[in-house]
Amino acid sequence: MAQRIAALPLRDRIGSITSGTLAWIYAALLLVPFYYFIVSSFKTNEQIFESPLALPATWDLSNFATAIQQAELGLAVANSALTTVAALVLTLLLALPASFALARATGRAGKIVESVFALGFLIPSFAALFPTFLLAAALGLFHTRTFVVFLLPATALPLSIVILTSFMRTIPRELEEAASMDGASSLQVLRQVYLPICIPGIATVLLLNFLSFWNAYLYPLILIGPDTAQRTIQVALPTLKVDAGTDYGVLMAGTLFTLLPVYLVYTVLQRQMQRALLSGAVKG
Amino acid sequence: MTQGISRRTLLGAALSGGLITPFLAGCGALVPASSGPRSISVHTQLSGAVAGAQVFSDVVADYQRRSGRTVALLKNGSDLPIVFETSTLAGKAADVAVVNMMGRTLSWTGAGATIPVTDLLDEWDLRDKILPQAIKEWTDDEGRLRAFPFTRTNWPVSFNTGLLEEAGVEIPTTSDELIAVADALRSKGIGPVTVGGSDWSGQKMFLQIIQGFITEDEARTVFSTGKLSESAGALAGVEHFVELRDAGVFVDNVQGYTSDSELTQFNTRKAAIVPAMSSALALVPAERAKEVTVGGWPKPSSGGVLAHPSVIKSYNGHGIWISENGREKLDLIKPFVQNLYTERVTDEFILGSGRDMNRVTDTVSKDFPLVAQGSRLTDDDVTPVMLPDLLIPDSVFEPMVKVTAMAYGSASAERIVDSFEKAYDAA
Repeated sequence: MAQRIAALPLRDRIGSITSGTLAWIYAALLLVPFYYFIVSSFKTNEQIFESPLALPATWDLSNFATAIQQAELGLAVANSALTTVAALVLTLLLALPASFALARATGRAGKIVESVFALGFLIPSFAALFPTFLLAAALGLFHTRTFVVFLLPATALPLSIVILTSFMRTIPRELEEAASMDGASSLQVLRQVYLPICIPGIATVLLLNFLSFWNAYLYPLILIGPDTAQRTIQVALPTLKVDAGTDYGVLMAGTLFTLLPVYLVYTVLQRQMQRALLSGAVKG
Repeated sequence: MTQGISRRTLLGAALSGGLITPFLAGCGALVPASSGPRSISVHTQLSGAVAGAQVFSDVVADYQRRSGRTVALLKNGSDLPIVFETSTLAGKAADVAVVNMMGRTLSWTGAGATIPVTDLLDEWDLRDKILPQAIKEWTDDEGRLRAFPFTRTNWPVSFNTGLLEEAGVEIPTTSDELIAVADALRSKGIGPVTVGGSDWSGQKMFLQIIQGFITEDEARTVFSTGKLSESAGALAGVEHFVELRDAGVFVDNVQGYTSDSELTQFNTRKAAIVPAMSSALALVPAERAKEVTVGGWPKPSSGGVLAHPSVIKSYNGHGIWISENGREKLDLIKPFVQNLYTERVTDEFILGSGRDMNRVTDTVSKDFPLVAQGSRLTDDDVTPVMLPDLLIPDSVFEPMVKVTAMAYGSASAERIVDSFEKAYDAA
């Protein structure tokens, strides 16, 4: 690598070193807080404030145990998983056929429907809270996970459909025509031709929506409510914060615990998402 | 193209998701507990890391075991009032709420979100069990008892005598002594008084200092109208605050601290003095508590109205509110509330969590020495001053906090008074 840089003209070498340095600085900007966050979850308040960047004296997991016990995080994680997975499944079940139809549509109606989906971006989520609350109450689904499972896909559909439609448009028509000539129905074309090729796009939609659903706070707070049997992780976590005397080690441990599923999902899906980004599926 | 995740994997994941949903929904722990016909639901702020949360959970669990009745615990932190209010709008409010009397909750009784419990106090044989001062404080202007007063709060001042000793000084009892102590501490690189300058804890301190120059009656007028400029005592109080601030009594950058960071600073020996409520004192680690003495805020050296250092004494804390839904279940709520006011439960709260309670009791905390010290302070040691929260209109509360945050900066006394009054005028 060093030899390769040395062989470059001076201006390119300076550019290469500068960009490399900036990349490392950027990485450090991300890594230092993350490091602080992890080590703090093994410390007491005193250790956090006395020596914020030092390694913990012991890798004791008691802060994690306290956080899980005090905020009942185990139950909350199960609720978040239940809500998030159900909402993701519903999102895909709705977005895939819709995107398939929009990608194949050539007339004006298809463009109008696509624009209608895009209009969803214009609605600020906070502005929709009160009407959504009224709807939940009118349907008798207030303080249930069911309503949020239906609501989250509705909020995610505009972006999901834009991503998947763009991705499906890159698939050559000839593939579909060949399958049709072999007698494949529309559903078979979707399942056997489009879906396998769209895996990176689907992974992108899954990842983006997972992050959004898992981290949702305001809607689950109001709509699912405070019942520990139903509340999600983001509603449970703030109970570790008190007005005076917060144990930051416990709070950090609880937060880290809630991030583990995010990390796992990101690890599984990131390669597919990068592939989708590189193939230009999510541009524009 | 399908490297990494195969179609089979993806479909498997989707199928698993579909299957796991009803499975998880069937788990007993995930079924809403508040849905039973003979159960009551209790929406509590005594949850999570709050002092007394575990004791409350244990008490409720024990009640369920002994009575055979179901109590669904719904838990929130500081976001409880807004969740309770939206639940009320949907007709799904919990039967009972255990929450502080401040801000939004002050309007609950008047708005019909909760019912007055004035008559229930005698019907349920609770009047003699609750401190009369607490009943008075929890009764609104129309004579309605908003809720059963449960926990209460004192706001003594904690002094780290270890740090004071390092600086060669003793606990100050007058403002001149406080300024001298601050100088000595600063010369040793120790922060003097820490307080949450940017939030309500700084506001309490500011209002406590003003009360060093006004009587209780004057304080009622001043804090309900906001007219500082019409009270010579209040003006003197603001000038006294500025004098202390400019003398370096508060730690540097105090206007940026919160109620949380003030206690952290104190617990980590960054500052020697902190005014903190008794529930927060229960969270001071035992190692730190060993070197702490609890007292009052030093009285003005001249011109004040206090006989001793001051302590905010309040019967405000968590109350037991009954919602409109709860009105239909009073027969179920009665034994639950009566159980909370038994001596046994009161002792569990005092001894197990260091909470100050509104129930008449002689029990004093043992494992929470600072709370015990605070509750032992008598009128010979300190002069109680009021917690003005109930007098300050709800809409003024937040603007006032902004003004007091500014006061901890570098604003002049005139500017503080002007901004304070404007906060009331704009509300």
